[in-house]
Amino acid sequence: MTHLAVQHVSKFYANGTQALADVSLHAGEGEILAVVGSSGCGKTTLLRLIAGLDQSSAGAIAVGGQVMHGTHPTISAVFQEPRLLAWLTVAGNIGFGGRRLKPAERDARTEALLGRIGLAGYGKRLPKDLSGGQQQRVSIARALIGHPGILLLDEPFSALDPFTRASLHDLLLGLWQELKPTVVIVTHDVEEAVFLADRVVVMRPRPGRVSETITPRLSRPRDKLSPLFDAAKRRVMQAIDRSLSEEHRPPPRQAADGSSLWW
Amino acid sequence: MSVAAAPTAEAGVAVAVSPHPARRWRAWDWLLALILPVSLGIAWEWAVRAGHASGRLMPPPLRLAETAYALIKSGELQTHIAATMTRVGLGFAFGAVAGTAMGTLTGASGVMRRLLDPSLQALRAIPSIAWVPLFILWLGIFETSKLALVALGVFFPVYLGVLSAIQDVDRKLMEVGRVFGLSPFGLVLRIILPAIMPTWIAALRSGLGLGFMFVLAAELLGASEGVGFLLLDGQQMGRADSILVAMIVFAILGKISDSVLVGLSRPILRWQDTVRDRL
Ligand SMILES: Nc1ncnc2c1ncn2[C@@H]1O[C@H](COP(=O)(O)OP(=O)(O)OP(=O)(O)O)[C@@H](O)[C@H]1O
Ligand SMILES: [Mg+2]
Repeated sequence: MTHLAVQHVSKFYANGTQALADVSLHAGEGEILAVVGSSGCGKTTLLRLIAGLDQSSAGAIAVGGQVMHGTHPTISAVFQEPRLLAWLTVAGNIGFGGRRLKPAERDARTEALLGRIGLAGYGKRLPKDLSGGQQQRVSIARALIGHPGILLLDEPFSALDPFTRASLHDLLLGLWQELKPTVVIVTHDVEEAVFLADRVVVMRPRPGRVSETITPRLSRPRDKLSPLFDAAKRRVMQAIDRSLSEEHRPPPRQAADGSSLWW
Repeated sequence: MSVAAAPTAEAGVAVAVSPHPARRWRAWDWLLALILPVSLGIAWEWAVRAGHASGRLMPPPLRLAETAYALIKSGELQTHIAATMTRVGLGFAFGAVAGTAMGTLTGASGVMRRLLDPSLQALRAIPSIAWVPLFILWLGIFETSKLALVALGVFFPVYLGVLSAIQDVDRKLMEVGRVFGLSPFGLVLRIILPAIMPTWIAALRSGLGLGFMFVLAAELLGASEGVGFLLLDGQQMGRADSILVAMIVFAILGKISDSVLVGLSRPILRWQDTVRDRL
């Protein structure tokens, strides 16, 4: 729903590690952007900067055309772990994401979302009584109850089994279709990236940079078994291979949009 | 090896299937726990009655019961208990509130911590009983100085517990609060305070324990009523039975207060997901 632009962002940590070097990317309104790349290439750092949980050392991040500082009411997030507040009920946790709503509105949306994530009747339970997949669904509902313009997800499904993961993909896409937030999802799973994303940003490490961006160009709903899907997956994997071999070479002069170079 | 392991695995399944595996033997636990004190008491009672021991310095159980009954009948014991519990209650309330407030302040703000914590730690290095002369000089020998001593005893465990609990709050949960737009004050209220609740209750409990210790110190150092006075009076009169009754009363009062605290906190801590209730 909201345009996101990351402009020439670099990040040095206090210990001198450069996690990001001149990263630029953008996500159009309602677009789903997947970010893939080897471990340590700065994906989490990038999301934390966008979320406003940490500050960039250089560059700017613009939300809806406005440069932002700190957290932003239209940006919400799903973390790798559910990170539910153990002392709140399931309904309380979902409602926590909608703190800016009027109570009646918040309760109504909580109730609707509980049904949507398949946990109707679980509202009064405590997080400790839910399975990992159920907890992650609650955390997705918490992130969406406030109808965010931008939704950030950092490897949200990596701890889950393939069945749960597939059902959560469908859940996420369903909710996305309703609310159309702009989505940035970090993942290790190429299939997940191709299944969900309009564009796949491949990053490479030391320091973290955008290597290239692949556009799967598949219509929705996507069929994981179709040859087109396979082809798109292969393109992403080849891009990852290139990003890894580039590690040992000096950075290329040509900027990010590598997909046109190869296809 | 695998043959030996098989019965264990089966036992594990059986335990998992039974509905209340842990608490089934509660009555037996009680009986078991009572065997030692009850049989010792009976043995001692018998020894004194049979003339094997005089029981002057260590009166047998029935003597203690008589003494306690007499103290209750005259209303003396109630007066002493009321005096002691008022001191503990008020001192605990002041100490707990001050400790919680200071702990929250220093825990939540780095500036405040650097400003206040060194001084408080320095004060803590003074053994609390050493304050007694000063308190008496400042506040007189009556109730106020006693309250101050109890409050001081309660303050430090609560303060330290709250401070370290806040520093241990999971950074990841703080980030959740920030992403969903909590202000610094909102973070304290909605994330930090609930998260430290278990440690806070534990700190209150040790504060309460110290509160009883300090009320006793205050009463031993000069009082005309209170369970501690009963204790001192027994010593001066050479009555071991009064001393023992006072000691038992202290144990009962401490246990009851602690149980009340635990009982009050149980619904608040229902969400805890620990192997065993931390309390
Ligand atoms: N708080 C920090 N202080 C110092 N260095 C950090 C910090 N956080 C991350 N780094 C470093 O920054 C680099 C990027 O880390 P980041 O967590 O963003 O990687 P990532 O792409 O998310 O990796 P993964 O796929 O394993 O989650 C790494 O080299 C890491 O060691
Ligand atoms: Mg990461």
